Amino acid sequence: MNTCLRQLAVSLVLSGFANLTALANPLTEEQLYDIACSACHSLGHTADHHVGPPLGGLLNRPAGAVEGYRYSEALSSSGWRWSLPTLLAWLAEPDAAIPNNAMQYVNPLTAEESQRLADWLLQQP
Amino acid sequence: MTSTLTRRRLLEGSLAGVVAGVSSGCADHRLGRSVVVVGAGLSGLNAALILERWGFEVRVVEARERVGGRLWTLDHLPGSPEGGGNVMGSNYGRIFKMAHDLEVPLRSPPRTLPSDYFVGAQRIRRNDWASATANPLPDSWRNVPPNRLMGKLNASNPLLQTRAWHDPALMATDQSALSGMRALGFPDAAIQLIGANNSYGNNLEETSLMSLYRVMGEFGRLSGPALAVKEATRGNMRLPEAMAGQLRQPVEMDAPVTSVQQSSSATRVTLASGKTLDADAVIITLPLPALRRIDMDLPAARVALLEAVDYHKVVQLHCIVETPFWESAGWGGSWWTDSLLGRIFTRPIPDTTRYNMTVWINGDDCDELNVMDEAACTDTIARALWKLMPDAREVTSVGQLVRWTNDPHAGGVWALWRPGQAATAHAALRAPAGRVFFAGEHTAESYRGMEGAMESGERVALEVMRLLA
Repeated sequence: MNTCLRQLAVSLVLSGFANLTALANPLTEEQLYDIACSACHSLGHTADHHVGPPLGGLLNRPAGAVEGYRYSEALSSSGWRWSLPTLLAWLAEPDAAIPNNAMQYVNPLTAEESQRLADWLLQQP
Repeated sequence: MTSTLTRRRLLEGSLAGVVAGVSSGCADHRLGRSVVVVGAGLSGLNAALILERWGFEVRVVEARERVGGRLWTLDHLPGSPEGGGNVMGSNYGRIFKMAHDLEVPLRSPPRTLPSDYFVGAQRIRRNDWASATANPLPDSWRNVPPNRLMGKLNASNPLLQTRAWHDPALMATDQSALSGMRALGFPDAAIQLIGANNSYGNNLEETSLMSLYRVMGEFGRLSGPALAVKEATRGNMRLPEAMAGQLRQPVEMDAPVTSVQQSSSATRVTLASGKTLDADAVIITLPLPALRRIDMDLPAARVALLEAVDYHKVVQLHCIVETPFWESAGWGGSWWTDSLLGRIFTRPIPDTTRYNMTVWINGDDCDELNVMDEAACTDTIARALWKLMPDAREVTSVGQLVRWTNDPHAGGVWALWRPGQAATAHAALRAPAGRVFFAGEHTAESYRGMEGAMESGERVALEVMRLLA
């Protein structure tokens, strides 16, 4: 490794590595959930210490419907119900999906990662 | 050790709940991928914890002799005031979750005493602001207190979405806050007062109006469960300390990095001691002034950008007050001034009769203080304090001078965005460069401050895992 580093560190410029991250191995859905969601949401069914509402049993649940959790008026009155299309729209750009919602969040996932995560989330009991 | 192990189980138990029934992940060490994290602040520690959970071998190196970065609790002073990050915002979900899991107790901060005004060398009681002859504002603005003037920007705030501060369609607002406020009809007197104690720019001319819209929009945003602002009961630094205590390999302290090299398949981090650390990837979480001092092979455009981003200047003088000398004269105890003293925040030390009083000086006013030696700087601030509050002198002791710009490991308190930088600088600064990845509050998208640091730790862990998982 030392020889490799000496030879390459001198000769390569970083722009030459620009596409390195495109060689990615896909993360599992559990990993995506852990990184992108779990700090603010549990997979339970009742409001808890997380700043966001629980995400268990999400499929077909009306948006803003977990008892005891204080949602924004925007989400509570949205008429949304969680399904793959609505969840994907939400994950892509929460502010655009339902303006004035309370989730201050910019999704760091790619579209493909979001799709797999949404599929997985909606399967959680 | 028992306590640490217990907390580790809490964290992993939490994760086990997340991945219910999934056997892969946190216990899997087969991957054998190694990552060096430079900087043991919130961003680096959060990234390290995530990567360790998923089986990566992580070594965290820290230049200081403590963890926490710009979280710095002054434990040697009564009341343990915060020399760095002092507020956990009501919607800091990542911070609250981490504190919960690691059993770091939080509390509602003791209430800062009401602030009166010292403007144009005149003392003004807070209830008299609107009618005071020393209030320089025109009639339609007179009832707005100095500390609320910047909030008037929200009447024209175009940032309706979190990431809109990069929106090309809104780049007309990525201009000088000084000229922007004038164009919006802010009176000169209001602009001067805003500039006197602006926590989000060293001066208004060189601050992007867009960045102020971003800050004001964040303050105006609703938080979901309406949690209250919090602080760690025993000091905010207890949180990064607890996070560091979870790591399988202890943080290597007093280990400043001098260079980061990489090839197509590996990286090498060299410490000031000469020791080298080889890894599959490196995460650099340092504030930009500290990052600039690391020898790295970066494209010229990126180096130029690193140099161009400014950092906010803050000087604090932390004092201890034995008795509430302000009460007999009917003052509130805190002050907002347009003088060298900036703002003075006073709050009671719980379970005592004493008070923490912090002189908080922002922006370019710090320049003359930062070039003085420590004794001269302390003396200059203290003399101004005794002049404003003669009664304070006999009952107030000076505890600690904090100068973030002079700290070689920080260089300031947070990144500032100059006019024209909102559009592209932020994204360019956080983009991975080969096997070198970047985090820290200046790279966060949704939040600033502590929560932004945590957010950036998540994002950078994701990027590393995409490469190495």
